[in-house]
Amino acid sequence: MIFLTVIARLADGLPLAASIQEDEQSGRDLQHYQSQAKQLLRKLDAQSPDRCMLEAGNMNFCYFISQGVCCLCLCDASFPKKMAFGYLEDLHNEFCEQYGKRVPAVTRPYSFIEFDTYIQKTKKSYVDSRARRNLSSVSTELQDVQRIMVANIEEVLQRGEALSGNQFGVKPQPVDQLSDSS
Amino acid sequence: MSTAGFNSQNGTGTGQTYTNGPSQNPVALQQPPGVGYGMNHQPAYNPMQAKVLGPPSPALYASGPYQPVPPGPQLGSYPPPPAQPLLTRPQIGVLPSHTPPQSASPGPGPRQAQATPPAQATPPPPAVTSTSYYTGPPAWQYAAPWGPAPNHVNPAAAAPPHMSHGSAQLPGPGAPPTSIHGYPQPGTAPPPMNPPPPHTYQPNRPAYGPPPTAPPAGPPGATGTPPPPKVDAGAAQPGPPGRHLGHYPSLPPGYQNTLAPPPSSLHPALQAATLPYTQGPQPYQQQPGGPGPDQLSPSMAAMSLQSGTPEALRVVNLLQERNLLPPAPVPAPTPCLTQDLQKLNCSPEVFRCTLTSIPQTQSLLNKAKLPLGLLLHPFKDLSQLPVVTSSTIVRCRSCRTYINPFVSFLDQRRWKCNLCYRVNDVPEEFMYNPVSRSYGEPHKRPEVQNATIEFIAPSEYMLRPPQPAVYLFVLDVSHNAVETGYLSVFCQSLLDNIKALPGDSRTKVGFITFDSTIHFYNLQEGLSQPQMLIVSDIEDIFLPTPDSLLVNLNECKELVQDLLKSLPNLFEKTMETQSALGSALQAAFKLLSPTGGRMSVFQTQLPNLGVGALQSREDPNQRASAKDVQHLSPATDFYKKLALDCSGQQVAVDLFLLSAQYCDLASLGCISRFSAGSVYYYPSYHHQHNPAQVERFQRDLKRYLTRKIGFEAVMRIRCTKGLSIHTFHGNFFVRSTDLLSLPNVNPDAGFAVQMSIEENLDDMQVVSFQAALLYTSSKGERRIRVHTMCLPVVSSLSDVFAGADVQAVTGLLACMAVDRSVTSSLSDARDAMTNAAIDSLSSYRQSALTIQQPGLLAPACLRLFPLYILALLKQKAFRTGTSTRLDERVFAMYQLKYQPLAFAMLIIHPALYRLDDLSDEGALNINERTIPQPRVLQLSVEKLSREGAFLMDAGLVMYLWIGRNCHQNFLSQVLGVSSYAAVPEKLCLLPELDTAESQRTRALVSWLRDQRPFFPSLHIIRDESQLKPHFMQNMIEDRTESALSYYEFLLHLQQQISK
Repeated sequence: MIFLTVIARLADGLPLAASIQEDEQSGRDLQHYQSQAKQLLRKLDAQSPDRCMLEAGNMNFCYFISQGVCCLCLCDASFPKKMAFGYLEDLHNEFCEQYGKRVPAVTRPYSFIEFDTYIQKTKKSYVDSRARRNLSSVSTELQDVQRIMVANIEEVLQRGEALSGNQFGVKPQPVDQLSDSS
Repeated sequence: MSTAGFNSQNGTGTGQTYTNGPSQNPVALQQPPGVGYGMNHQPAYNPMQAKVLGPPSPALYASGPYQPVPPGPQLGSYPPPPAQPLLTRPQIGVLPSHTPPQSASPGPGPRQAQATPPAQATPPPPAVTSTSYYTGPPAWQYAAPWGPAPNHVNPAAAAPPHMSHGSAQLPGPGAPPTSIHGYPQPGTAPPPMNPPPPHTYQPNRPAYGPPPTAPPAGPPGATGTPPPPKVDAGAAQPGPPGRHLGHYPSLPPGYQNTLAPPPSSLHPALQAATLPYTQGPQPYQQQPGGPGPDQLSPSMAAMSLQSGTPEALRVVNLLQERNLLPPAPVPAPTPCLTQDLQKLNCSPEVFRCTLTSIPQTQSLLNKAKLPLGLLLHPFKDLSQLPVVTSSTIVRCRSCRTYINPFVSFLDQRRWKCNLCYRVNDVPEEFMYNPVSRSYGEPHKRPEVQNATIEFIAPSEYMLRPPQPAVYLFVLDVSHNAVETGYLSVFCQSLLDNIKALPGDSRTKVGFITFDSTIHFYNLQEGLSQPQMLIVSDIEDIFLPTPDSLLVNLNECKELVQDLLKSLPNLFEKTMETQSALGSALQAAFKLLSPTGGRMSVFQTQLPNLGVGALQSREDPNQRASAKDVQHLSPATDFYKKLALDCSGQQVAVDLFLLSAQYCDLASLGCISRFSAGSVYYYPSYHHQHNPAQVERFQRDLKRYLTRKIGFEAVMRIRCTKGLSIHTFHGNFFVRSTDLLSLPNVNPDAGFAVQMSIEENLDDMQVVSFQAALLYTSSKGERRIRVHTMCLPVVSSLSDVFAGADVQAVTGLLACMAVDRSVTSSLSDARDAMTNAAIDSLSSYRQSALTIQQPGLLAPACLRLFPLYILALLKQKAFRTGTSTRLDERVFAMYQLKYQPLAFAMLIIHPALYRLDDLSDEGALNINERTIPQPRVLQLSVEKLSREGAFLMDAGLVMYLWIGRNCHQNFLSQVLGVSSYAAVPEKLCLLPELDTAESQRTRALVSWLRDQRPFFPSLHIIRDESQLKPHFMQNMIEDRTESALSYYEFLLHLQQQISK
């Protein structure tokens, strides 16, 4: 199951599109994961590995970076890695196709929130086990899935350091408290 | 004018005496007014008093009988007046000690809590404080200006204007129109009652000498802003506070002696009848005395603060001034700020305060006995709204206030918060002004130039990605619902407006119908037709196919349209009479909770199955009861609890109630009230029998479906340190002390808050209020709309009175009274409103007036207060003794709390226009349409005439009353009928005739309708029409079987005040 999907600009972590999580059915509180995702997106930069999986309890964050755009999702630890990255790449391709050129110029968060509709559809086809059969192409494109780096989200966020020797630029930006934002 | 036909309403012919009496030729009529009122109103009066006023409490109507104010001779019809009350009449020159009788009376607790903010737990200070206050300040307030005054008199402006005014008034006396026109244009001479005695000039003088008193009070806004512009009578233009001080001249002892009613008199009432005419002119003399410069330039006077205050404080004897209403709608008062500040201030349409001059201390506020609070219309549709996109929104680091026009810049790099006074840095980015494209002028940024502004929020303002627009419709399809025929109107409206639903490509819609079971509609893309899924297990509701019930509107538009076309026929033959509304709401909540959104519920009967089932609580025999009304509070907390769950998931519930039967709106309404929804009510809706309601429903739906909407919103109201907000009115859930949770916000919702003064505002000249509304637009943008209002702080009671905004006060009192009706009782609420008028006028008389005169005195700014209070007492929400359906009453209460002030005022005090003589004189010209502007008439049958046609605009409904002898011209040219008898019994539409009269009339009616976001239906009624009683009930100034006439009400107030 994929709970959360965010597409952000790599340069500053500005969220461009996202899919609303469905917490009613899953019964989970995703707020904590949301803020982790936000922090993570701020830490990523051009030096970060372009594919990575970060363990967060019984969930995994997966992200895929290309052309200055980062696609991030949160899924069950049991959700096949291959599927997750296939999903992210699928989103990435479509997103860059539709909005790629406008990405550097936007200032408003979630400028391309309408991409949500596509995200939801795509998600459905990856999550639904019957529909997965149609995605045979995924496996061929992602032979390399075993070599994807795995780390722990807490460590990454706390250290603010590299995942594999690459130096993360440490950006000490506090996560704003949202509760008093009005 | 013929009053003969309206005896039952107004007594025989008294109306005329009444109108003409006091205002026309006062000298000649010293006796007649008394006779007029006394003779005809009194005999019936006592029984009525026993009925209406009797029960409340001695607190209100202490010694039962009224003091015989004007009518000496009619005493016989009263119970003999006890000597005691007469002796307690205030005496001039004696320090007031009237407060105790009132506050010591049995009902003080609740009543005073009402009149003053509840946070003030201790009863407002009685005579003690007021005495101590008055022994102090007057020494300098009134004496000081007296001495230096002559030095400051501008020879050019001072004496001559006085004289000219005095003489200008002479020709004026009596003509009622003059007195009306006199008040909106302070520059023109108001009519005096008779030639002013020479000595009345003396008190005016101090008006020119406020400067000496001003320094202690200090002109508001003097720091950080340029001083008030000095006009040519420069010396006479200190800060505003100084000005009013001057208008309360100290009196030479000799003056007091001359005019003071001898304290020994046993019949002050008689004095009241004789003295006013010698004293009457007094207030007028003060008024022209004040605004010297205004006389020179009336146009400037209209906009400058200098003119507003003296006029606001002009003393009006309500018993004498008959025609109080201005010819056009009552404008909001302008706060006494320097022009620079006022120019930047928030529009009163968005933000209003009951007191435009904030008292310095809570005790001063308590003394004024006026409620302090704000009335907001925060999401109003605006034609111009500056929108700022910026990566950093500049806010105070300490209190999080948004930077606004009323902050002060210490230098280019630092600004001082106007709410908490913390000094903040100006961010580098803010130094650049995108509008002027210049650098280094932070004070010219749009944020600092606009009191109303909208920010595009950065991602810190989002707890989650902005939600899409989601609309779920929950439709009653029981037999009763099908009978009303609403379903086809709804479906057609939605079909017509489906493209105009606010949203983007993410917009989702869904439908649930219900009777004794719940029906879902699978609209998944790819289906050839909508699929209906019935869940009959209403005890444990579940969603059959969670994914395909709320669908993307763009992708599934055809399925949605198919459904809307087939729905009305689907249940045509249903025999199912039960209604499981509670379960349907639970299902809808489940469906919406993952995203949030808007739930629109259409209900036509009392829910009677499953959770949330209700029982009829209305006893039709009690509808006209003069006693307390029961069942104003909800019967179950089911709807409130569900609403709070909805609020937590960003779901708002709007309720459309279409029913002829009792539906327990008091219980059902909670679903909307706590989820920030809105309530619409169409009593006796039927597609054939009630075409007026059908049209209203259609128009309202169109507005509802297409108006702007904000999702997952919160609103926070901040105010300057020292002030605190404690009670909110409107539809929302209070999440924390100052944060309102608004799952939806719509442009038609109003809010009110009550405030108290927790710390003295001693060293402040101005205070500010800021409302910030954070919401997600239907296009998925997170935005923040910020309104900031700045008001002066004053230290004297007369200044507080001068700044009173009578409409805002009335609106806030109405909200408070609704709460009181529910938590305590209706009679308690009614008492509280009456007491609010008594207390404030009595306080004004005792503490703000230096010259005691007989009569019922009010400052000009509050002259409509008793009228509005009486209007509230006669309003559907609060009236007693008149048959009122419980649901209609509860709905009226909801309206008072929910409607923005402008519309609430129309609901409280309708506007009456004469239509048969409409002309283009003074007409507005909008989009090449000429809209006549007839003057607003007092709500009394004496204003009607059988020869005329009159339009009453009561907000949600309009009545066009056709007089029996209406001009043939009007009948044929406007109504297209040949004679009065040919006017149909049920007529709701003005025919479109190609005549000038028809065009004018239709232009006016449609213009009035266009002003408001709901659709008032129009009923054209004849004298014998069924709806005539509804029309007549709005004649607030007239007596009804169960309620006082305006004049009687005034007498009642006067008696209470003089005690």
